[in-house]
Amino acid sequence: MYQTVVGLEIHIHLNTKTKAFCGCQAEFGDEPNTNVCPVCLGYPGVLPVLNEEALAQAYAVARALGCQLSKRTLFDRKNYFYPDMPKNYQITQFHEPVGRDGRIEFSAPDGTVKSVRIHDVHLEEDAGKMIHAGDMTLCDYNRAGYSLLEIVTEPDLGSGEDAEAFLLSFQRLVRYLGVSDGNMDEGSMKCDTNVSIRKPREGLGTKVEIKNLNSTRFIKKAIEFETKRQATALDAGQRLVQETRLWNENRDVTESMRTKEGSLDYRYFPEPDLPPFVPGAEFWKEVETRQVELPLARRQRLVETFGLSREQGDFVTESRFMADFFETAVKLSGNGLAIANWLMGDVQKELNHFGKTLEASPLSPARLAQLQKLLDSGRIHIKIAKQLLDAVFEEDKDPEVLLKEKGLEAITTEAQLDPIVDAVFAKHETVVAAIAAGDVRQKGFLVGQVMQATGGRAAPALVNALLGRRLSLPKS
Amino acid sequence: MSVPAPAWKQFQAKKEAYLAYARPWEKKVGAFLTFRPEAQAALGSGPLAGLPFGVKDNIAVEGFPLTCGSKMLADVVSPYDATVVARLKAAGAFVIGKTNLDEFGMGSSTENSALGKTNNPWDLTRVAGGSSGGSAAAVAAGLVPFALGTDTGGSVRQPAGFCGVYGFKPTYGVMSRYGLTAYASSLETPGVLSPDLELVKAVFEAAAGRDIHDQTSLDPQPLEPRPIRSIAVLADLADLDPGVRAVYEQTLVHLKALGYELVPVTLPTLEYAVPAYYTIATAEASANLARFNGIRYGHRPVYSENPEQLVRQARTAGFGDEVKTRIMLGTYVLRSGFQDQYYTKAQKVRTLIRNDLNKVFERADLLLSPTFPVPAFVHGDKTMNEFQQKLADKFTVTANLAGVPALSFPAGLAGGLPVGMQFTAPAFGEARLFEAAAAFATRVPVTACPGTSLDWSK
Repeated sequence: MYQTVVGLEIHIHLNTKTKAFCGCQAEFGDEPNTNVCPVCLGYPGVLPVLNEEALAQAYAVARALGCQLSKRTLFDRKNYFYPDMPKNYQITQFHEPVGRDGRIEFSAPDGTVKSVRIHDVHLEEDAGKMIHAGDMTLCDYNRAGYSLLEIVTEPDLGSGEDAEAFLLSFQRLVRYLGVSDGNMDEGSMKCDTNVSIRKPREGLGTKVEIKNLNSTRFIKKAIEFETKRQATALDAGQRLVQETRLWNENRDVTESMRTKEGSLDYRYFPEPDLPPFVPGAEFWKEVETRQVELPLARRQRLVETFGLSREQGDFVTESRFMADFFETAVKLSGNGLAIANWLMGDVQKELNHFGKTLEASPLSPARLAQLQKLLDSGRIHIKIAKQLLDAVFEEDKDPEVLLKEKGLEAITTEAQLDPIVDAVFAKHETVVAAIAAGDVRQKGFLVGQVMQATGGRAAPALVNALLGRRLSLPKS
Repeated sequence: MSVPAPAWKQFQAKKEAYLAYARPWEKKVGAFLTFRPEAQAALGSGPLAGLPFGVKDNIAVEGFPLTCGSKMLADVVSPYDATVVARLKAAGAFVIGKTNLDEFGMGSSTENSALGKTNNPWDLTRVAGGSSGGSAAAVAAGLVPFALGTDTGGSVRQPAGFCGVYGFKPTYGVMSRYGLTAYASSLETPGVLSPDLELVKAVFEAAAGRDIHDQTSLDPQPLEPRPIRSIAVLADLADLDPGVRAVYEQTLVHLKALGYELVPVTLPTLEYAVPAYYTIATAEASANLARFNGIRYGHRPVYSENPEQLVRQARTAGFGDEVKTRIMLGTYVLRSGFQDQYYTKAQKVRTLIRNDLNKVFERADLLLSPTFPVPAFVHGDKTMNEFQQKLADKFTVTANLAGVPALSFPAGLAGGLPVGMQFTAPAFGEARLFEAAAAFATRVPVTACPGTSLDWSK
């Protein structure tokens, strides 16, 4: 049996308003070549100006990944020709990246917590985009110069499943830090995957780099495919070549793109247009204030504090917004488990029904807490609570207000019930008479009629007890 | 402050007379690639109000071509102003032309221009030097009172020497590089050429200072002012043209007569300066010139099978031989596995040269040397091959490697041709350069190029 060894090279677009080295808007989906200027188009004579916000975000990520942070970070030029790369070199960091030698934990699918070492975190610029249209090739440079953060892991992942889980957890982390939306389908997160296999206790095997992976599911599948392909080759006595392979998502296979002999010499050298960046006290403070409780730690805390299941813990820490929502609602209502259940169950249903995100919905932590408190105090029953939740989504009002407007408050005294019972008895005199004659089985019908007349606001136990007395039946 | 170049204040009023003077001259000299003397002076005041000027055609001027002397960029018009140009405009000056140069600044004769031939106004059979040959010829011929050049390894000072004018290179970073088409980013700077030293100073003061578009730029941090007492001179000067040597010896006599103490020094690393310079310059050039691929602007073939072929065709046809040579050399020295041997070693030499110069400046206020070992040579001269021409850069490249300021000043004539000498100062020592050159001019005034005059302004 072989072991799979996986290392990742993750790229994320940082959440900066402007590009990494010029003042152009960093906006997706605009008309081609509108968010461009002489600098990001690589006109003669232009110079890059470092976007410090991008660097602050880069340091925040490196810090969250437990890296050694550089006290004097440098930029380098990576030289290669590509038609959509305006300068035909990329400004990146090679000799002195923002961070090195980190480690981050993630929750593996087998329920254990595993860790991955981080080789380095570095800031660079993105290229443009080529569009092939018939016999023409068009270039859109809107994306050229976007701030891109590359995170390189050590080969510490042992399977496709683990790699997928790690990436999902990493995605959650960058979203918590607010540095990227981490969406792979929109291209704001990309991941090249290095895969090799080896026999236990042997050194590392020949690695293959897989590109063109635009979902975590493809990454899992590609790793699994590569493991099998490499194992079959080795078992057949073949030697593996170090190469770059492309994932073919239509056929679920990887295909050879270029071998190491054909690989490029990037001729890195220090970028003479950007002086070294030496963070000052203010900058370090800023990096610290950007730190947040990381998703895994937060999940563990919430699970322990409120007795949530792992699944519930996972769900309520899916985003920082969700987790903050949860914690606020719990604080106001005092019922963690119930709030988790609401969020995972009926709230999710309402969101789907109205096609809204939690952020954009009329439900606030205060409203959810209010609903739960109505329930906990017995003023409403679960059925009414669900009606009220729906009404909150429909009418964007507080549960208390809706409760009054709709007269949905629970009937909790016999005095409130007596007139209703009178009316039901009057309407169903024959049934009342039949029960009096001894046909006790028909009591259930009357209970149902009373419940219906109250619109479900009365507790069944209360109705049962009252009817029993009114019909002079022995206590059951 | 006194108004510099008072005669040139008449430029607008005497435009017809100026044109009658300038057009025939320019026809003979070929200083400009774009010449728009009809341009109207900007209204407004400022220390340079009403002064026309020329700009080397590798510096961006909005609405003017930015050819860099290359077929590659022959049709490119700049959409923006270089910071130094914008500041000079703000000071009241205005651009009337773009001057010829060796393609992308690579050369020392302007013969590497793909777009025009520039002659030395002193002797039209000779070159004006380079790479800022057009700027030097333009000011020497009296076509503009001053011009901007760029100095990567002597490209302002050497042509200034050849044409008998001042050529000034500031401390690295003090004049913004934003808008200067990059050749060797860590070495180059804009510079000023003029026969009028006061004007060089005024232009420098108007253009200098930190620029938000150039993160390597700096404000001037003038050294503590004190009178210059001592000037270092190189103890061993070999391979000088006899005419240049004679002017050099005369210069020493004048400096001594001015009361300066001459301090003999050696620069042990000088012989490594040129190889180090060409290693670093070509390495940076190989990356800087990669952006010219014919896709977004510039020369491109009519048809290509695919983008990769388009890039190859554009670069093959767009660049001249010297540019291709330097790109290949730069690519070679940056190869992985060979960097320690070439690029990294060159950077170490650079540090040693800086240290050498620092030691000199502990003993003397300035360093004197010839600007170039020979005076202006004739077009197509084969007595110096390309390699020898590069070796001859040794006096000038030192200042670029160390990032310090230097000034080539007209020091006299040899065989009817001007000869330039050079002062080099410690970083931010610009004021010393101007002071010493002004003192020298009290003994050897600048000789105007025969045939030039400002009579049209009368």
